[in-house]
Order: sequence, then structure tokens, then C-alpha cells
Amino acid sequence: MSERPLIPRIACALLLLSLAVTTLPRLLALVNNARTLLPMGYEARREKQMGPWYVSVETLRRQLPPHEPVALIAGPHDVDSAVFASYYLYPIRTRLFVGRNDYRNASPDPTLPQTIVAVTADRAARTTYDALRDRDLRAGHRVVAAPALSEPRTTFILPMAASLDGPAPETFVIEATIANPNPAPAEVRVTFWPKGMVRTMMIAPGATVAYYDAVHQLFGVLDRGWMRVDSSAPLRAAFYFANRGHGDATLLPNVTGPATGIIAAPIYRDTKLFVINPNATQVTAVVGGVSFPFDPHAFVSWPVTKVPIVSGDVYAFVATRELNGRTDFLWPR
Amino acid sequence: MIGLVVTLVLVPLVGWSIGRRGIGEAFLFGAGLTGALLFLAGVAHVPLVVALALIVVWGVGSGVWELMHHSRTVQSTPHHAIPTIVMCIPLIALTFVAAITPLSDFDGRAFWVLKAKGIAHERAIDGPFFRGATLDPRNHYPILIPLDGAVILGVTHDSDDRQLRWLYLGFLAAFALLIRERIDRLVSPAAGSWCAALLVWIPQIAVEPEGGALSAYSDIALAAFAAGAFFELVSEVSGSRGLAVSRCSAPSTPRDRPTAQPRDRTICFGLWLAFLVLTKSEGLPFALVFLVIGAFVFRKRIVIPAITTVIAAMALFVWRARIPAGDEEDILRMLPTIFGKLHHLGDALAAFPVHMFLFPRWGLFWIAVVIAAVLAWRLDRRAARVAISVIVAMLAVYAGVYVATDWVVSDLIAVTADRLLMHVIAPSLFLLALASSTAQRTKSM
Repeated sequence: MSERPLIPRIACALLLLSLAVTTLPRLLALVNNARTLLPMGYEARREKQMGPWYVSVETLRRQLPPHEPVALIAGPHDVDSAVFASYYLYPIRTRLFVGRNDYRNASPDPTLPQTIVAVTADRAARTTYDALRDRDLRAGHRVVAAPALSEPRTTFILPMAASLDGPAPETFVIEATIANPNPAPAEVRVTFWPKGMVRTMMIAPGATVAYYDAVHQLFGVLDRGWMRVDSSAPLRAAFYFANRGHGDATLLPNVTGPATGIIAAPIYRDTKLFVINPNATQVTAVVGGVSFPFDPHAFVSWPVTKVPIVSGDVYAFVATRELNGRTDFLWPR
Repeated sequence: MIGLVVTLVLVPLVGWSIGRRGIGEAFLFGAGLTGALLFLAGVAHVPLVVALALIVVWGVGSGVWELMHHSRTVQSTPHHAIPTIVMCIPLIALTFVAAITPLSDFDGRAFWVLKAKGIAHERAIDGPFFRGATLDPRNHYPILIPLDGAVILGVTHDSDDRQLRWLYLGFLAAFALLIRERIDRLVSPAAGSWCAALLVWIPQIAVEPEGGALSAYSDIALAAFAAGAFFELVSEVSGSRGLAVSRCSAPSTPRDRPTAQPRDRTICFGLWLAFLVLTKSEGLPFALVFLVIGAFVFRKRIVIPAITTVIAAMALFVWRARIPAGDEEDILRMLPTIFGKLHHLGDALAAFPVHMFLFPRWGLFWIAVVIAAVLAWRLDRRAARVAISVIVAMLAVYAGVYVATDWVVSDLIAVTADRLLMHVIAPSLFLLALASSTAQRTKSM
């Protein structure tokens, strides 16, 4: 070495110095970090590195069935977290869905995982599609900001009650507002037909209750049907059939009894006739000249290409979708 | 601990099974052969467990036999103490860190080690894992390194990534030893030792979280395989008429003579190219560049490396045809669109110069390489031409990909340019070694 000329040695030393000036401090930091991790077990080191997120993934790995595929649903900003969750959950098989819409659009796929894990940068947790949907709806805004309340009534029927998703972004809900204008509390009984599910609640004097997704909030289901509202005191109410995906809403009539004279109007696509039997007994109705029996509290629909003539002790209406996606209802007189 | 033993014992033994060589080169050959043979077996639907058993029996048996019965053709040169110590400092520190800290990089967990887990779990390279049963975003990535990882996970019966930390660190150590040994032979022992020391101190390689030695990216492995191929080329150049530096300098200590016969060298060159093809997507264009340059160096003997490269590439394409693609870009399909994306050209051409001068990643390394290229050209035009051709051709290919990409070019450059520069480290270090000898020669004259 002593025979080597000075210039290459200086150049080499300078070059090494330029590298070491960055590498050495970072290397020391890495070594110090390793020293602090040394007394811990390996999993504890990961927990220290990745925080509560890793703890939640570890918990999941113990809880999830090992041979059942899992849907990882993450928001667009949390995809990396989902990729890492997949890594730590393996050999549990995972499919990534960016957002709830991605998952619901895959619903025709027979291999769609039924077990859902919601992943964020903070945690990964097992959940259900309903819970994710409810979380999204709760976080969003109601379509109708200023509902038009009806005249006070103690009993009425809502001919359409739904909490359903179509292909994204179609999200159908009932936005409900119920006000008790009386000086006394009102005991309200809401029945969701044809399932016959009942929910009872008290509304304080002068109070107003509001729901962004009445069917799911009251009955915990994603379904459709009709509702009957019975109250101990007259209530003012407004129920809107809203499509959160499109931001449109239609005020539903507060029906008091059977009606079948549907007003003729233009129809568009996906047109359906809906017939409900509000009675507790079977009835027969004539639809387009053909007689059909309807079970007690039935809720029946079928596609039509024109507004049919309906008669009988039932309530009938038509729903049609405009080209812009808005749902129009043709109510009976 | 078993992962460490497998990495340190099995992999080099497989490398020694095809001839006695330095431990760094043996490690790289072992890793490359194990992964490549398992891949070919997997493509041919030979059960991986059977293939692995054969590799272990053959590799360990013949490796031990080679070690016991064939000494290296000449004694190794004693290495300089100071650069050796300088080289060992980061390697020891990184070993300590790798032993304790869990894997935390992105690509390692998102793609590479996940694939290793998938292969180890299913014992197949086209099982449900690769057929969409689980989230594998880059399904078509070559899997030589994940196959090596799967061997370790399989032998240890543990799917925890802690078992693989040694493999990735091993690639850096082996790379450094390969650099030291080959530049020692080709230029001088001092140059070899210092180049190896420089390599392990480069921030992008030593401590960078994404792509560095503590990550589970495959870029260091690709750079090491490229180094192997490059040194076969330069050895051929020096073997035909000797490097200028070798002719004009008289080392004070005995130097290794190249151990390989010309035929062995072309086989080794071909193996390195096959490893490149099967390690990363960038490996195929890299191998093609080496084949083109190698055609000028090996002339008719380029047929052997061409055959191994074609076999590896065909196997890769057959395997890819059997499994669904992930979200990776298909560069071949994008190439015809390149003329519609010429507005990317400015960003693409500026990518590497800008990143070369990122001091926190590279220090003065690339400035030194540019100066060294000029000096080396003056000393040994042919050897320098080989090194410069490899560097320029590969960076041109990568720049072409930047033009053709559908990603946001600036984003892609930001996350890949430094790692792509790693691939041409070996020819760059060789230029530095040549230049240092140029200065030495000038002084002595």
C-alpha cells in the first residue's frame, strides 16, 4: 500500500467519506433501534414497529377460519395496509376490494368471500357488509335536508320501505323524520311487512327523530317491503325513498287504505308494478284482467311494460326509472 | 437459527457443486442454481419437494466432495487489512440489525416474501396462490429468489420472514466478496478490496429501507448476478490479451489466475444470464444486453449462453401463460405505444442523472464513476468499453421503459431509479478500479 500514489488514495478516501457520512449515522440508528428491540420477543418487536395495527392483524389471524377466504375491504388510501394485512394473514387467502362498492359490484361472483375484514391504516377488523354500509351512510349526508312533514296522523302505511344496494353507486334508503307535536310522549309501533318485524319506540313531547336509513336502523336488515306506523298520538312525518348514490329522493305518501287507480304517466326502464296487501287476510286482486291471490301483508312486484289496470282490496303502484337513474313512482288515486 | 444455517451451508454447497470457487461466488451460484432448477422443475410439473431433495443430495454431496478433493487452482491473494475491516463494519452491523429487527419494507412483504410463503405453503409454483386464490398484486414477477426463500421456509417448517433475513443479507455479502475477488484478479488486490468496501458503504445498498440489504427486494440479487455475468465478460476480454492494467502493473503479491476454461466461462456466463431472467422482470432485457455485448466478446461461443437464456426465458413465458397476470405492466405490449408517449422522454432522460447525484443515496459515487470512465477509457479501451456499454445500454433500456410506461412517470422514477442504478454497480466499480490503476500507472511512469 505504501507504494501506491497519493491521488487514488485521496480520491478513494473522499469517495468513502461521502458514502459513510450518510450511511454511518443511519447504520448507528438501525443498530440502536435493534438494541432497544433486543429484549423483546419477535412478535413484540413487530408490535413495536407497526403498533396497534399489527396487534389487530394478529388477533384476526387467530380468529379467522384458516381455510375460508377473506375479503379485505380498504379505502383507496389504505390499500397498502390491506396488502400488508394479506401478507401477515397468509396462509389465510385474501381478496382485496378497494372500497365497499368494489365488493358489492363483485356480488355475482360465486367465489366472493363472505368473511369481510375492513382494513385501515390504524387497524384491521372483522366486520359485515351491512356494518360497512351503515358506516358509510352515517358518515355521509342525507339527501333531503329539509323534509316536508305531513299533517298529524296516528296510523298510516308506507307503501315502499327499502334498504338495498344495486350496482354501485345505487344505494336505496328510506330517510325518515318523525315529529311528535303533542304535549305528551308518543309510543310508536313500526311494523315492517311482509317480514312482520316490529319496533317500538317512545318519542318525547315536541321531539323529532330522524333516520338516514330507516329500515336498516330500525330493523337491522337490508330488505324491502312496506311499513305500518301506529302511534299513541298523532305524528307529523316525512318518509323519502332516497337513492344516496344519485342524490335524489321521492316523498312517499302516508297511505291510509287500499287504492288501485294508478295514474297513467310515461314509464321508462326497469318498470315494476308493486302490489301490497295491507290486510291481515288473504285477498284477491285483478291485475291486467287476471285474478291473483295475495297473502296477508304481501308485498309483490313484477316487471311491466305499461301501466296496468288493477282492482281489488290492495294498494298498487308503479315504479319506473328515468334515464338519469332517478326512480319515479306512479301512485294510485 | 435454522434459516441461518440453511443459508450459510446449503446455498454455498450447491454453488460449490459445480466447481470450487470463492464463497461469495459459490453463494450466488448456489442461490441461482437452486432457484432456477426448482423453477424449471415446477414448470415441468416435477414435485418441488422431489426436486429440492435431489438438489440437496446432489448439491451437498458434490459440494462437499469439491471442497474436500479439489483445492482452488491457485492460492487466494492475501487481502489488505484496512479495506477488509472497512468492508466488514457495515456487514457486521447489518447482520446484528437483520437478526433482531423484523422485515418492514414494502415490496418484500407485498410481493417477494409473500410469494416465498405461497410457494412453501403450496409446494408448487402454479398452485392456487398464483391462480388468484389470494392477493398477489404482481403475479407475473419472476420467482427465483422467492423459490430460494421457499426452500428455507420449507426446511425450517416456519413461514415467518425472520428465517429469510439472512438470505437477503447473504446476497449483499456474497456480492461484495464477488466484487473483491474478481477485481482482485482483473485489476489489483487493493482495488478489489476497496471496491468491495465501497459497495457495502453505499447508502442505497446498505441502509436504504426500500431496496437496501435489510429489505427483501430482489435488486441486490439481480445486481450480484449481473456482476457475475459482467466479470465473465471482462475475464474473457482480459483472458484473450490481458487487461492493460495487468500488463503494465506488477503486483507485489501473487494473484489468482482465472480458474475457468473458456468453455466453462461461457457456461458460467450463460448461467448468470439465466439467473438474471428468472430473478426480476428487468433481468430479461439485462440478459439480452449481455448477449449482444457478449457476442462481440465470445463470438461463436455466445451460442451456449444464448441457449441457457432462451431456456430460462421460455420457461418464464410458459409459466406466465399458465397463471393470471397481476397488476404489473406488460412492457412488451406497451412498446408499440412508445411513439405516442414521447412527451415522457425528457423525464426519462433526466431520471438517472438526477438520481445519480442524490447525495443521501449515492454520495459522490456516480461522479467518481463518470470521472473513472474517462480515465479507464484511456488505460484500457476494450475493458472500459465493455463496462460502459453495459451501463449505458441498461440505463437506456430503463429510460425506454420510463417513456413507455402507463404509470405517472415522475412517480415511477421516484420509486425505481435508485434501485435500477444498483443493477449496474459492478461495471461501475470496475471502472473505478481501472481508473485507480490508471492513476497508479501514470504515477509509476
